[in-house]
Amino acid sequence: MNDVFPLSKEDLLKAYRTMKTIREFEERLHVDFGRGEIPGFVHLYAGEEASATGIMMHLDDQDRIASTHRGHGHCIAKGVDIDAMMGEIYGKTTGACRGKGGSMHIADLSKGMMGANGILGAGSPLACGAALAAKKLGHNGIGMSFTGDGASNQGTFLESLNLAAIWNLPMIFVVENNGYAESTSVDYATAVDSYVDRAAGFGVPGVTVDGTDFFAVYEAAGEVIRRAREGGGPSLLECKMIRFFGHFEGDAQTYRAEGENESNRANRDCLKMFRARVTEVGVIGDQDLNAIDTEVLKAIDNAVEQAVAAPLPEASDLTTDVYVNY
Amino acid sequence: MARKISFKEAINEALDQEMTRDPTVIVMGEDIVGGSGSPGEDDAWGGVLGVTKGLYAKHGDRLMDTPLSESAYIGSAVGAATCGLRPVAELMFLDFLGVCFDQIFNQAAKFRYMFGGKAETPVTIRAMVGAGFRAAAQHSQMLTPIVTHIPGLKVVCPSNAYDAKGLLIQSIRDNDPVIFCEHKNLYAHEVDVPEESYAIPFGEANVVREGGDVTIVAYGLMVHRASEAAAMLAKDGIECEIIDLRTLSPIDTETIIESVENTGRLVCVDEANPRCSIASDVSAMVSQDAFSSLKAAPRLVAAPHTPVPFSPALEDLYIPSTERVVDAVRKTMEP
Amino acid sequence: MKGEKPVVGIIANPVSARDIRRIVAYAGNMQITERANIVLRLLAGLGAVGIERVVIMPENSGIRQHVMRGLERASNLGEARFPLTEYLDMAISSSSQDSIDAARRMHEDGVAAIIVLGGDGTHRAVVSACGDVPVAGVSTGTNNAFPKFQEPTTVGMAVGLAVTAPELADIAFYGNKILEVDVAGRKEIALVDVTVVAEQYVGARALWRTHNFKELYVTFAEPEVIGMSVLAGLLDPVDRDTSEGRWVHFDNSDHPEFKLQAPIAPGVVDEVGIKSWGTLLPDQPCQIGPKQGSLAFDGERELSFSSDDRPTVTLRTDAFRTIDVSACMQYGARSRLLRNHRGERVSVSNVTKPQQED
Repeated sequence: MNDVFPLSKEDLLKAYRTMKTIREFEERLHVDFGRGEIPGFVHLYAGEEASATGIMMHLDDQDRIASTHRGHGHCIAKGVDIDAMMGEIYGKTTGACRGKGGSMHIADLSKGMMGANGILGAGSPLACGAALAAKKLGHNGIGMSFTGDGASNQGTFLESLNLAAIWNLPMIFVVENNGYAESTSVDYATAVDSYVDRAAGFGVPGVTVDGTDFFAVYEAAGEVIRRAREGGGPSLLECKMIRFFGHFEGDAQTYRAEGENESNRANRDCLKMFRARVTEVGVIGDQDLNAIDTEVLKAIDNAVEQAVAAPLPEASDLTTDVYVNY
Repeated sequence: MARKISFKEAINEALDQEMTRDPTVIVMGEDIVGGSGSPGEDDAWGGVLGVTKGLYAKHGDRLMDTPLSESAYIGSAVGAATCGLRPVAELMFLDFLGVCFDQIFNQAAKFRYMFGGKAETPVTIRAMVGAGFRAAAQHSQMLTPIVTHIPGLKVVCPSNAYDAKGLLIQSIRDNDPVIFCEHKNLYAHEVDVPEESYAIPFGEANVVREGGDVTIVAYGLMVHRASEAAAMLAKDGIECEIIDLRTLSPIDTETIIESVENTGRLVCVDEANPRCSIASDVSAMVSQDAFSSLKAAPRLVAAPHTPVPFSPALEDLYIPSTERVVDAVRKTMEP
Repeated sequence: MKGEKPVVGIIANPVSARDIRRIVAYAGNMQITERANIVLRLLAGLGAVGIERVVIMPENSGIRQHVMRGLERASNLGEARFPLTEYLDMAISSSSQDSIDAARRMHEDGVAAIIVLGGDGTHRAVVSACGDVPVAGVSTGTNNAFPKFQEPTTVGMAVGLAVTAPELADIAFYGNKILEVDVAGRKEIALVDVTVVAEQYVGARALWRTHNFKELYVTFAEPEVIGMSVLAGLLDPVDRDTSEGRWVHFDNSDHPEFKLQAPIAPGVVDEVGIKSWGTLLPDQPCQIGPKQGSLAFDGERELSFSSDDRPTVTLRTDAFRTIDVSACMQYGARSRLLRNHRGERVSVSNVTKPQQED
């Protein structure tokens, strides 16, 4: 076996398509939000694509993820339909949640996406529950929560590490460390610089990777997920990365150093690095990737068009679906 | 066949029968088995007051002791409920709501709505409520109004063993999140309870006593206070109709309105603190929807606006007494 | 810094200790407080023999806070003689680059020695940038084929003696072998091993998929360590003193002549098919066989190469100096360097010549 790359050409193209879709989806929202087209708040995932994609390529619909407020990337990588996502962000009835949830609560349980969450850290117990259900129901699905460098200081996250360890749950704690919790640096807010060290304190093994390197994420995620599926219990995967935009759209980002964003775009763009690696090795040509670029942009345009044209919910939708029955 | 069993035994029986019927039911909580990892007996406690004793022997590892991590394990129960299990999680005292409230009111309660009707969260959270045990301020509250307030939650508070069994069975079968409140001071109370399984629907109050002079609305332990008061008042020819709410959300407004339209008088008895309580909620609803039937202002009998005191002399004053219910009724009867 | 009292540098960078060997092997996780204690033990040893100034690489993992707290406590209690301890003023990237930057700074600032806490990877990073500054190692890493296990207090004392007592100059320092790798003009080094693997991506860096191992080059190979070099060590060991290295070619086919069982990672004893092996002579560049793949230095994939790159591996001897702790302490014992006949504590300023043996 001489695996030059751990993925086939087909899968590499799929990975690129997913990352590009996330990138263009977020870039488009940035523009449209700036023009006042989008209600409420959006938190953009641009720059972090390698993390969601490298991880989610190992998962199927039976695996459950609980996401954060910055959930568009996780949704797309988990297979949620982008038309439904855009519809939801616009608050239309065609949205994944019929317009009732919005950007921060997009969910698609049929795809194992337990929801973006407006409460930081809330996803870790929920994902432990998914892992518990998988174990009790006897299938080899896993539970996975995403938390940022800030939310990983929440009690819910820390309690969940312990719970997953004592019950040996097939659970992955992904810490997406982009260095900032809103405006606060991780160097200030977290007493140690490694969430892997924290996990070790709870009896959970962990690994840190460069979250802008698709292959590092893919390889490490593959191992922790395989281990969970095979009864090896919980792990923590820390992806160190950067976000291109602010905490939310409208964030002036005055907490960043001068030139920081420009430097990130130039030197730490995971899409550029992926393209460079695969074309250098010669597995894929620039033209294959350019073709995907064109298709993705079209798909995003289409999603926005559909969302803008779709109907708003009716007054009667206000009181539906509070309960299954009441 | 019915026989006398206690409130506590009725709960145990409901759990047992549902676990037997449905393999996706799991039960978790602190010490609900007891002795996990300890060198002594398995099933050492069966719950801090023994409510779940004996279930582990029958159902094994579908009962799980949890560490002292409410937000983690209540959250796990909620998450597991969206993934095909039907968990019954015990929050030992509803007073502990503070350490896990987000998972209940922001997560479980809101999934169905936020996800456009595409989620079901069939989780039941059992918790002890109520004063009278000398357990002091942080273990004796009646926090039912707080959970009743939240859209997306259902809240149940039975007053007797028969209702407890039927309502817990219904709670477990229900596909929405249910907060099942168990008054610790009723655990020993016995009534006739059928051996077979049965479910009592939500939103159906029980008219415990019929009468034409005044409607007393109560739930939990206060139903018993109301019954005692009614017996005393009957000697003076005052006939009380007692409505045991059974479920606070959904609430049986129809039965309440119908009764007040008949009696014209309302007394609400509630062990919760008076601001924004079940009593004030029912009273406002009746004032609006049955105003023309009222012969007197509705009266509220509630605990004072204080934490639950420790000293028995004070705790006995805190809990609404039979005498205060009698006084309230008499006040509505004044010309 | 000539003529001034010698300054010693300490580099403790725990970043490598979070790699995937915690998942694919049973690699441990030394607590930050333990690392801080090791630093304090080094400082105690250094201070005891009179070193007055130490500079340390800064990091955000928490070691610094524990060390400063330990020094403050000791000072409040009037115990121990710790050197004046300062942290370098440099940017922190929380990556192995910090080790390289700190080593370069310490070299530029003229420190007399650098003590490294870490495994093979950290030592490699320091050696790549420290120039001719001698290095002493404390093995706290995932893979510790290069640094030996030695009590840090003793390391501190030995390093202190080595850099101050001129009569130790001949015995205190050890010349080490190195592998130089040239990849289309880019130069890299390895202290213990260079592995050629089939993967064309750096990914999660560590090596564990034995079916992808192609070739191995080592400076020395002992059969009783873990890591890649043990594959050579179990075939034909070579010690640190001999001016030779070893190469091994692996056989990934279904029927190799034999498979070698070796502890390639903590808790992982795996089989690797062997084709052939031999001796590597110094200063003779060796062209690696495979046309493309990746190169791992001291157990971590670092760069990928393809057919135009034509990487070569060359063994060099006496390439960098380490401090021979055992030799220093043996000498100190034999020459009674640490005996105090004059009622004052030993310090390097009053150790001018050794006591004569009776």
